[in-house]
Amino acid sequence: MTQPGAADAPDRQHDQAAQADDASLVPAAEFTVREFARTAAGSHRSTLDLEAYEREPLDDATLELVDFLARLERSTMAQLRSVLVTPTHKDARITAFLVTWAYEKYWIADALEAVLHAHPGYEAAESRGPGRLAALSRSLADRFEPIRESVVANLIGEDVVAVHTTTGVVDEWTTRAAFEALRDATSNDEFRTMLERLLGVKERHGAFFAAQTRDRLRRSPKAAKLTRKRLNRQHWPLGAIDEDPQLAARFFETLLPDATIAAIDARIEAYPGLAGLGLLRRAKSGQPAIARAGEALGRSAADVRNRIR
Amino acid sequence: MAFDIDQYTETSEGVGWDDLDFEAFKTHPLPEQTLRSLRYMCDVEYHTVCYLRDLLVTPSHKERDISAFMTMWNREEFWHGEALAAVLGMHGITVDFDQLKATRLKLGWRDKIAPLKQSILGNVVGEDFVAVHMSWGAANEWSAVAAYRRLAKLEDHPALSPLLKRIAQQETRHVAFYASQARERLAKSKVAQKLTRLALSKAWGPVGSSISSDEDVKHVMGHLFGSEEGVKEIARIDANIAKLPGMEGLSIVGDSLRKRGVVAA
Repeated sequence: MTQPGAADAPDRQHDQAAQADDASLVPAAEFTVREFARTAAGSHRSTLDLEAYEREPLDDATLELVDFLARLERSTMAQLRSVLVTPTHKDARITAFLVTWAYEKYWIADALEAVLHAHPGYEAAESRGPGRLAALSRSLADRFEPIRESVVANLIGEDVVAVHTTTGVVDEWTTRAAFEALRDATSNDEFRTMLERLLGVKERHGAFFAAQTRDRLRRSPKAAKLTRKRLNRQHWPLGAIDEDPQLAARFFETLLPDATIAAIDARIEAYPGLAGLGLLRRAKSGQPAIARAGEALGRSAADVRNRIR
Repeated sequence: MAFDIDQYTETSEGVGWDDLDFEAFKTHPLPEQTLRSLRYMCDVEYHTVCYLRDLLVTPSHKERDISAFMTMWNREEFWHGEALAAVLGMHGITVDFDQLKATRLKLGWRDKIAPLKQSILGNVVGEDFVAVHMSWGAANEWSAVAAYRRLAKLEDHPALSPLLKRIAQQETRHVAFYASQARERLAKSKVAQKLTRLALSKAWGPVGSSISSDEDVKHVMGHLFGSEEGVKEIARIDANIAKLPGMEGLSIVGDSLRKRGVVAA
């Protein structure tokens, strides 16, 4: 086929060739999904020495964060839901990846829960969740989100895939940093060893999303623009929207110091079209306010109910 | 009997075939019509994730046991796809992720509208709609077990038959989950029973009929169930479905095959 504009300057010809290459490129081609599926990490139970926690228990503040992280790792089905109603479900490599990703995350959460159960004195606080009123509005939003998303995302088309892979990589970097912070802070060898192992499992999740994001944002400025807009609307970390905002605030405060936030933001902003986004910095600084508002709403709802009684 | 989710997740694994002698496919290659049926089954297994999508748009994904099951179930079905792809690969038929994408692209508007329809129904009708999904899933899994066992018997092949029996064995655990969920939910609600009966009798089609051509559906169903023994198998599936609360007298699998002229009316 004759290329139009064959007399263009060499540079431009080069750019066009590069773009054509990009378009035919399989995103994250270096990542072998079959190999990932074949070598998936299942239950970690047999590698855990839970008696170690009898000798050297973790404190309640740490356990609360472990509990929080376990629930985030467990929230894969909710995440799959928002992904699968969009054109992303048509990409069979991505869905094949997500099948194994969900499986590995299930067992990461299971290992964290095993640690919680090894502390008979630890009881998850009763008032979990985003506060009653917030929970109500969340539940309504939850019902209508897939309805809205299945319409909107299907109109947008293929570009929405980049939104999902970028969301995936941001979330992976964020939770990864939290695991690392817990690992670095603990004096319990067993806990440290377990976190190290779980970080090893998470490694490939980050690698896949990062490579996908790189290729997809590079080849489509439209996808980059959409991703930028959508990332801004997302609640971080993923799954936290269903949680107690106080706990989410503490997650940021304790596990993600400003230097870590800045480092992750710098990695995000290195992607095409995402410069100057300041995503996690804003997510963190917005936390306490959100927490207070959410709690206040929840509390007023509870107060009203008590008075009626 | 209650389904033990912990026992299930702890023992869930991708189906293996390393110990089977796949070289046997070189000396005893499978006939054309079997390869066509296997290709169909392979596509269905890989598309489980799309079916998962329909399940997730209803409120059921928030329940812990259900999401644990779905995680494992989805992965087991993916591995069934991989195993069947390996068999097809021995016959020079490549099933790759890119081809699957092409199939999903062909689904077009039907596929786009599906989650919309499902989520409106699921979220407006709510809890009772979960019973529809569970009953639907039970019907599908019963059909899958029967299909794999039928093909294992029809071929009696040293590598294929043991593989298909392994797959069928995993499918029986899926049946146990869906059927116990369906039973429990239907028993609790008359509305759920009415909805489910309506959905099954009006909308159910053979597994794979939503993603395959009518000719392929007819071929596969005829190949597997178009004999006297096959018809008996179908009757057994229908009897199982009819035993679910409020489903007495339904014969959706038999009806769907008679409608397609696969078995005599």
